[in-house]
Amino acid sequence: MAISTATKAATDALAVNRAPVSVGAQEVHKWMQSFTWDFDKNRTKYSTKYKMANDTKEQFKLIAKEYARMESVKDERQFGSLQDVLTRVDAANRVHPKWNESMKVISNFLEVGEYNAIAATGMLWDSASAPEQKNGYLGQVMDEIRHTNQCAYINYYFAKQGQDAAGHNDARRTRAIGPLWKGMKRVFADGFISGDAVECSINLQLVGEACFTNPLIVAVTEWASANGDEMTPTVFLSIETDELRHMANGYQTIVSIANDEAASKYLNTDLNNAFWTQQKYFTPVLGMMFEYGSHFKVEPWVKTWNRWVYEDWGGIWIGRLGKYGVESPASLRDAKKDAYWAHHDLFLLAYAMWPTGFFRVSLPTAEEAEWYEANYPGWYEMYGKVYEEWRARGCEDPNSGFLPLQWFAENNHPIYIDRVSQVPFCPSYCKGASTLRVLESNGKKHSFSDPWGERMWLSEPERYECQNIYEQYEGRELSEVVAEGHGVRSDGFTLISQPHTNKDGKLWTLDDIKKIGCVFTDPLKAL
Amino acid sequence: MSIEVSGGKRGLTDPVIAAQILAAIPDKPLETQRKMNYFVTPRGRRLNEYEVLCCYTQPTPDWIAGGLDWGDWTQKFHGGRPSWSNESTEMRTTDWHKHRDPAFRWHYLYVKDKAEEWRYTDRFLKAYSADGHVRSIDPVWRDEVLGDYLGAFGFSEYGLFNSHSSVTRDCLGDTIRMSTAMIGLDKVDNAQMIQAERTFLAKIVPGFNESTDIPKAEWTKGQIYKGARETVEDIWQATYDWNEILFSGHMIYDPLFGQFVRREFFLRLSAYYGDNLTPFFINQMQLYHSQTKGITTDMFHTCLSADTEFGEYNDRLMRAWSDKWLPRTVNALKDFMGIFAKIPEIKGVTSKDAIQAALERVFEDWERDYAAPIGYKVDTAAHIKTILTGLK
Repeated sequence: MAISTATKAATDALAVNRAPVSVGAQEVHKWMQSFTWDFDKNRTKYSTKYKMANDTKEQFKLIAKEYARMESVKDERQFGSLQDVLTRVDAANRVHPKWNESMKVISNFLEVGEYNAIAATGMLWDSASAPEQKNGYLGQVMDEIRHTNQCAYINYYFAKQGQDAAGHNDARRTRAIGPLWKGMKRVFADGFISGDAVECSINLQLVGEACFTNPLIVAVTEWASANGDEMTPTVFLSIETDELRHMANGYQTIVSIANDEAASKYLNTDLNNAFWTQQKYFTPVLGMMFEYGSHFKVEPWVKTWNRWVYEDWGGIWIGRLGKYGVESPASLRDAKKDAYWAHHDLFLLAYAMWPTGFFRVSLPTAEEAEWYEANYPGWYEMYGKVYEEWRARGCEDPNSGFLPLQWFAENNHPIYIDRVSQVPFCPSYCKGASTLRVLESNGKKHSFSDPWGERMWLSEPERYECQNIYEQYEGRELSEVVAEGHGVRSDGFTLISQPHTNKDGKLWTLDDIKKIGCVFTDPLKAL
Repeated sequence: MSIEVSGGKRGLTDPVIAAQILAAIPDKPLETQRKMNYFVTPRGRRLNEYEVLCCYTQPTPDWIAGGLDWGDWTQKFHGGRPSWSNESTEMRTTDWHKHRDPAFRWHYLYVKDKAEEWRYTDRFLKAYSADGHVRSIDPVWRDEVLGDYLGAFGFSEYGLFNSHSSVTRDCLGDTIRMSTAMIGLDKVDNAQMIQAERTFLAKIVPGFNESTDIPKAEWTKGQIYKGARETVEDIWQATYDWNEILFSGHMIYDPLFGQFVRREFFLRLSAYYGDNLTPFFINQMQLYHSQTKGITTDMFHTCLSADTEFGEYNDRLMRAWSDKWLPRTVNALKDFMGIFAKIPEIKGVTSKDAIQAALERVFEDWERDYAAPIGYKVDTAAHIKTILTGLK
């Protein structure tokens, strides 16, 4: 159409209809796929053995401003609830102390996962070639910033208003002391950002988010609420609304490589490795946080796990991807066994190592022990008796001079660290499937607790060179390590971590630990 | 009662559970230090909410400057490359966590602003269309300049947007990672706003072509954006140092080429061609530019140039990067001069003297705000002279 005719047409159109006109997000988004162009240097900076298709679409078709509008609405509701009604009813001071402690860990560790997912999805944004696929990952980059801030807000809120701020107020510099940290970094940090870009997507989106965020972010809200915590459901359920986009991104990653020959060769191996990586930590740790980090129980962890991980993810979600050649991981069966005892095994060790935490832990009460035995027959014989012995020896009392770690030494039950997952295990005292395997490479010994992780290490040992806590602290005295890692309260000598949450119980200090003379020794050196 | 809670009972509201919880809570708080992140050095007088929520979220080992963590990475890339490493940039610092967004925007505040801009855009477009403003736009300006050349500029913004992906992955600090993602989103927002304007025009001007085909051809094959396209391609995909990507894009190319195109071409000239639609969008882009400038000058000047140990070294490196990227940007501007032959001339507005004055404004701003703080000497007159040779 000639220019002058166009002007006349516009004028004529106005004469007929002056109805206000605007532009919708979808009208802009429909052009997104044409925003890129071909040029010689256009390739990703992060290698992948897969080829992502150039025409991959996204499911959540957002433009930047519409994304902001949606998130802003959710934020207003969420922060409005927190700052208004929950503050007025003093909600942070109506949370069971055991759960208050659990949220020091859950919120901060999830924050690490969310934070690393910013970088992970940055890598995927770079790796994808289709603008819509890039846009989907970009939305997730922004979501992950949101979630990082939201998780932080939980600790911020509890620190400001709750019953015990220590640990909430400084988790970012004290979290690295203890044995749970490095395993968390494997699943929530490095597993998302270090590797083949598609492998990282599988770790983050296909397993981490589609599988474990359901128990982590949804199920946790039921446990929180049962224990008086309404802040966590307010925030975590708002986080979960974004997770749908992330699961869709994971799905689209698979769609984008479905026709690539590499997918038929490597995809199921990468999925199996990713699943085992994630489950090896999350299965025991989530079960432990829910059951041992609460007083009021919702349901046995094994049931939650079975519903979300085995049936919903392993069956339905992976089943949907079956048309792209995706199969349920071969390790799912072994993981299912872990879901029954692994968290009980881990709590035994976590309690024994309590001074290295940034939270208080508690032995099960009599009614809690009854609940464990009813839901996990055989629990008392294996664990309950040990807790009774520890309690009788005064493990909660700083004057007793007894740390449960001594019990492991006295009974010749060495605690090892799995090289690949960094999860501690005690092969001679456990009901789970942990078995000790030791391999030597370049003059260094490595312990493993399962064949799946061992196989990953055998394939690529250079990816799993990280020191464990024994290698880091070898020969050093426990209180010295705690002090160096800032594991003390604002008085400078009382530990943040404590072996009880009794309101009248005495609190341990650095001196109480020091007089016990506990020194880190690598058990592999004795082999 | 049983400790297993069923029927959706909540500890806060169920009287039996609530009573047990209250009985277990200490009579007084166990800790007096209630400020989260109290150990962080605040940028201002006291720690603000942004610093509480963002600082040290990254688990950096202490062998990366400023890190609080220890040890190695628990999983590395195939072949053993670390998750994050000092080798990812030539820049040096005593603390990669020092950067702050001067506006202290965490996610909530960032999306709140953008959401308001979106709602206001919707209201503005409705009023604009109902008022019939579109009748006053010069047809050549509307159909050729906005349709083709503004559309083509959208690719510059989209390419710069993509240059932020690897920075978001590789950078070594948490606050700069969040800032990078935000200024990256602003760039794709610019590209989308340009398309939104073209789509809007297509809805009210029958026959106006909203397709991206012609703008893309102009961007990829035309002469006017040739230098810009080559520079953007190099920033996006040929540069691996994450600091150099941010520096080349936001400290050289965008404050010169971007500012000239947005502010001195589209924004300044639109009024002369009866176009009061484009300024609405360009002004939003200029707001983003201003916010981005705050972020990147904080990173490169306040943090890296002023670093107590490595400031001098960083200045030298930034000057070397300026030597590398300034000529390309000058060349991009020279190519862009070809656009003036495409529009009806207005004396004192699109004539050479006016163009030179516009270039001088851009270069003066750049010299003062970007070059001088790192001690970079620049002969702006010579660069402007070179650029003006591009006029047809």
